[in-house]
Amino acid sequence: MATDAAAIEATGATDASVEPAEPDAPTPEPAIRAVGLVKRFGPVTAVEGMTFDLAPGRIYGLLGPNGSGKTTLIRLLTGMTKATEGHAEVLGVRMPSRANLVRIGYMTQSDGIYPALTAAENARFFAAAYGVRDDTAVTEAIALVGLGDRARTIAATLSGGQRRLLSLACALVHHPPVLFLDEPTVGVDPLLRVQFWTHFRDLADAGDTIVVSSHVMDEADRCDELLFMRAGRMIARGSREDLRAQSGTDDLEAAFLVFVGAGEVAA
Amino acid sequence: MNPHRLRAIVRRVVQEIRRDRPSLALLFIVPIAMTGLITFIVRESQAPTVEVVIVNEAGARGIAVEGVLRSALEAGDVTATEAPDVAAARTMIEDGDASIGIVLPADLGEDTATITLITNGLDPSGDAAQVAVVRQALVDAAASAAGARLPTISHVTVYGVPSEDPIAPYAPAIVAFLAYFFVFILTGVSFLRERTGGTLERLMATPVTRGEVVVGYILGFGLFATLQVAVLMTWVLGTVHVPAIGPLPEFSIGLGIAMAGDPLTAFLVVLLLALGAVSLGIFLSTFARTELQIMQFIPIVMTPQFLLSGVLFPVSTLPDVLQPFVGLMPVTFAVDGLRQVFVAGAGLSSPVLRWDIAVLSLVAVSFAVIGSLTVRRDVV
Repeated sequence: MATDAAAIEATGATDASVEPAEPDAPTPEPAIRAVGLVKRFGPVTAVEGMTFDLAPGRIYGLLGPNGSGKTTLIRLLTGMTKATEGHAEVLGVRMPSRANLVRIGYMTQSDGIYPALTAAENARFFAAAYGVRDDTAVTEAIALVGLGDRARTIAATLSGGQRRLLSLACALVHHPPVLFLDEPTVGVDPLLRVQFWTHFRDLADAGDTIVVSSHVMDEADRCDELLFMRAGRMIARGSREDLRAQSGTDDLEAAFLVFVGAGEVAA
Repeated sequence: MNPHRLRAIVRRVVQEIRRDRPSLALLFIVPIAMTGLITFIVRESQAPTVEVVIVNEAGARGIAVEGVLRSALEAGDVTATEAPDVAAARTMIEDGDASIGIVLPADLGEDTATITLITNGLDPSGDAAQVAVVRQALVDAAASAAGARLPTISHVTVYGVPSEDPIAPYAPAIVAFLAYFFVFILTGVSFLRERTGGTLERLMATPVTRGEVVVGYILGFGLFATLQVAVLMTWVLGTVHVPAIGPLPEFSIGLGIAMAGDPLTAFLVVLLLALGAVSLGIFLSTFARTELQIMQFIPIVMTPQFLLSGVLFPVSTLPDVLQPFVGLMPVTFAVDGLRQVFVAGAGLSSPVLRWDIAVLSLVAVSFAVIGSLTVRRDVV
């Protein structure tokens, strides 16, 4: 396993624009691993040769403009779509693996909840889909996202932000150790946003690995590590301090542009 | 197939429809209203009002014929007036003063004589009814002029009684088509929402298999299809008389259409068709991006079935070119199967009915398999 990891680190290092992750960390077994992932839709390449390891218990921010391949990457990692080349592993299991899905939570970009059902019914349904039959898990998940008093409300009548919260509850109702959140805070007001990030931090502290995609740079500040994506490629990776230092700017938005520029020069 | 996950999907589908009042209305009230209206129209359709205008171009010879013709028409409660020439008769028909004109030609009585009938022409089926009345009067007149009396013609059939209830022969086709149509629309739209609302994507990110999703849908919608068919059949076949209460006159609920066979057998046939419609809806939702596009499948998918399955036109009268397609329409087999049960009183031992049931089952199963193959594809 160690030699594998080394090999992958080496592959990553050959990609000129990608910084190796945390060279000082004692590399535990990665929670998520991408090995030469490529996804093409006809002539369009959505993800172009991504290789990386993500360590457990951390929050990773997948940042990039619209259409940079964030959702496709998440769908590749969760096994929702077939890789054209390469493969993904989650908790050491090669994806796609149906059995492994019980260890993964996936909050889609759209709410992905049933508007005609109540909040609790939605959570209960997804719990059942994951094989969780204990109703306390449902109550807990609903309470965790602060919808305890809205459990019996029909989802269609919840506010947009509350629907996002419910969507989050449905994604973690089965206590998955790995969580993929595709733009979880879109349409969520700043106050709720803080609430979301508090949840994410609590989960990470409990050992869960979280991958959050966003195109809002200020959310990046809350992640342990950032992966900058552009046009299907990872153009930079590191903690926000690393990235600021490397780019020589204080502002992550500016830093992103610096990496974009560097990528274009390299190309 | 995991029973717990399957049960969760069925329960969810049922919860969703139960709360969707317009859909419930579409499933239960609309078919009742439609069958009620169709039955009312067919049963209570009126005899056409025939107002004849006669043009006599045959002079004295024509007057005698006209007299006989008039008495024949009057025997059928048809009034007849006169016009001096064809142009005047045409004007009368144009103005609505007469509905049909009879022109007695100058050569009346000779072998070459042709009696011309003039109608408005805007409404072919109305015209046909007018022509039929006049034809009958002409035949009666000819017979009475010859001093003969025509025998009464009576029509009997091997199955059923043809004249008893005019709606009876159509009832099977109407029931089959309505059940198919509404279940298809509901499933199609509902599954499309699953695809576009992101819930299918999310469901595919759980250990739920696509087979479970499709079977769950079939069972969930199948439950409502069963209820729908049961309600519709009860309505179509049953009659409950409500006695007069106070100022309310007595009335009856239900169409009370007579059926020769076992209602449960008919129920089975419609149910199989409806289950096929569930799978068809799932399958076709793959090709739709919006709910409007599901509606656009109605002319593409439903119209051929409607035209080719014997609902409207008897299969035997369809052009030869279209005959091979008749066998491809699931509704054909349901209509035929239901006619076997309704009219011929066929039971499950009838080979014809068995064949219909076998085809319907095959269609339901194959659409289900195809439908489940489309589930993972293009989940975006």
